[in-house]
Amino acid sequence: MSSLFREHRDIIERLKKEIGSESLIGYEIPRPRRIWFSVRKEKLVDAITHLVGEGFVHLSTITGLEGENGLEVIYHLNRKGLEASLKVEVPIKQPVLPTITSIIPGAILYEREVHELLGVVFSGHPNLSPLILPEDWPEGVYPLRKKWTNEEIKKKLLKGS
Amino acid sequence: MSSIIKIPFGPQHPSFKEPENFMFKVDGEYVVDVTPRIGYAHRGIEKALEDRTYILDLYLVERICGICSQAHTTCYTQAVEEALKVDVPPRAKYIRTIVAELERIHNHYYWLGIVAHEIGFETLFMYTWRDREIVMDLLELLSGNRVQYAMNMIGGVRRDITPEISSEIMKGVKVLGERMEYYKKICSNERTVLTRSVNVGILKTKDAISLCAVGPTLRASNVKRDVRADDPYAAYDEIPFHAVTYDGCDIASRIATRCDEVIESVEIIRYALGHLPTGSIEVIVSRLVPSAEIVSRVEAPRGENMHYLKSNGTDKPERYKVRAPTLANLTALCKMLIGGYIADIPVVIAGIDPCFCCMDRLTFVDVNNDKSWGWKGEKLRRYGIKWYKKQ
Amino acid sequence: MGLIKWARTKSPWLLHFNSGGCAGCDIEVVAASNPKFDIERFGMLLKGSPRHSDILVLTGPITFQIKDRLERIYNQMPEPKFVIAIGSCPISGGVYRGCYSVHEGADKVVPVDVYVPGCPPKPEAIIDGIIKVLKNYKEATP
Repeated sequence: MSSLFREHRDIIERLKKEIGSESLIGYEIPRPRRIWFSVRKEKLVDAITHLVGEGFVHLSTITGLEGENGLEVIYHLNRKGLEASLKVEVPIKQPVLPTITSIIPGAILYEREVHELLGVVFSGHPNLSPLILPEDWPEGVYPLRKKWTNEEIKKKLLKGS
Repeated sequence: MSSIIKIPFGPQHPSFKEPENFMFKVDGEYVVDVTPRIGYAHRGIEKALEDRTYILDLYLVERICGICSQAHTTCYTQAVEEALKVDVPPRAKYIRTIVAELERIHNHYYWLGIVAHEIGFETLFMYTWRDREIVMDLLELLSGNRVQYAMNMIGGVRRDITPEISSEIMKGVKVLGERMEYYKKICSNERTVLTRSVNVGILKTKDAISLCAVGPTLRASNVKRDVRADDPYAAYDEIPFHAVTYDGCDIASRIATRCDEVIESVEIIRYALGHLPTGSIEVIVSRLVPSAEIVSRVEAPRGENMHYLKSNGTDKPERYKVRAPTLANLTALCKMLIGGYIADIPVVIAGIDPCFCCMDRLTFVDVNNDKSWGWKGEKLRRYGIKWYKKQ
Repeated sequence: MGLIKWARTKSPWLLHFNSGGCAGCDIEVVAASNPKFDIERFGMLLKGSPRHSDILVLTGPITFQIKDRLERIYNQMPEPKFVIAIGSCPISGGVYRGCYSVHEGADKVVPVDVYVPGCPPKPEAIIDGIIKVLKNYKEATP
């Protein structure tokens, strides 16, 4: 067990060396094959580039959610069963993150989904047009944000029709 | 100077059982660009999951998709059990594995029939769908329903496998394995199938990796990645099996990969039934789930299925995210279609085994229905079929 | 009974449309055309075009995005036409009742003749539903 966790700890150490310990806000190893990192958004691209270089080439998905202090975007990267989840926080008033499609082309649809449903803007993304919501969806209604409950959205749409 | 024509494809289309829309730009016979437009099966599930308790969510998660229902519920119950820090009894893990493999066999037979139907090989379509009834009868015997088995619950499984059921399953899977060997021989020797599948829908290995494809689509491009082997769950760490890969990167390889996977699944089921541990099939768990963030992954028949759970100590999830395999393969699908013939479109789309209901889960409302969008589906669908028949 | 009516009841052509469902009912509808259940012995075929069909076999909760297309397909079908709602979803929204991107019942969008409950209903139940539609049609008008 300790040798298994050594692999996880080594990954954390190398990431810390790459982006600097003040940018790696936190990390956790809850169980074998799962690592959680929290990084500052300024170092997002560097962290992803480093992890891709370490072999984490497969992006399972990008999760977006509204946390207590703003919007959280989690990048789930994978290397042969080892899942590294990288969390980044953005303020709700200015939710901007750089795109990672130049590093991992497969991120293109996941970023669009998080943009549509949560309102995070991925600067540099080739095409942030609606993927799953209709073209006439009202501006500013992000379904995954807490303030847009089922009732609120229904009210807003009935007002619009 | 050749002209570019736009052809919309869907959402109602005879080849696809589910609504989706693709806009193709074609130049003569070749596809130049493709824009998928998904979202017809959006039902607001991720938002609804936050409003219901964990127990009610189980029923909703199962109905994300009719065909991968066991995969979704296994992923869900695993996530919640990990947050609860409970360990499911070994017998329950084996039963989950057996049902998951039966579902894989069901899905691959269904898929083979659909691909045969797209190619025009109606006989193989009818044969595979007749054989599919064997596995559906086994699932009905085991769980009470042909589709939506409701076998999983948080803490274990709902029903046990008696020795009589076990012997029926053994008999059934033996037939299924033999028949799949025969279909594999047909698909690798029949000229009609080979003309339509060899070097069609090419997805090179480096593209498959960089576009983050999953499942048999990825394994047919020579990338050995299978969640059951890399990140074992349920009983897969105790059952020996091989992850199947082929290096053709085309539809013929995808057919071969899935045929071999069925044969592997038969072996897994046989091993699991032969080594079924004794004991209980469930543990009682608390209604309230402590705060945690969990990532749960399973290998659904179509590829890697990933769920993310954020719990907050109450009996309802704070956030639940589902990423189904078809979304991961969509970008790779667009890559495969570009440069190919129009006539190959249905086969290539069917080749990734699309499940659009798995993909379109989130909030999606359209009260304003004055959107007029060039849906000339009827006329152009007939054009697509006629063209396809001429080839 | 006239010749045309006889032909219609003896050989109804079905259009299968999934209005955003989980595909569970769709598997059972296409399983009904399998050799085991074989609706072709009743003269029924699953056709691709609304203009050729007599009966619309509807599955899935009607999502808001697809409501438009469903209405268009229904309007494209020639008279006399019938609609069968398969599964709990087009009856009341099914397990998605309460999700606001879903209509709670297909009869809010198109007139439904027969409801076949189940989640999903077995192919035998689906065939029974279609036979009921034909029986009603046969007995209704001269």
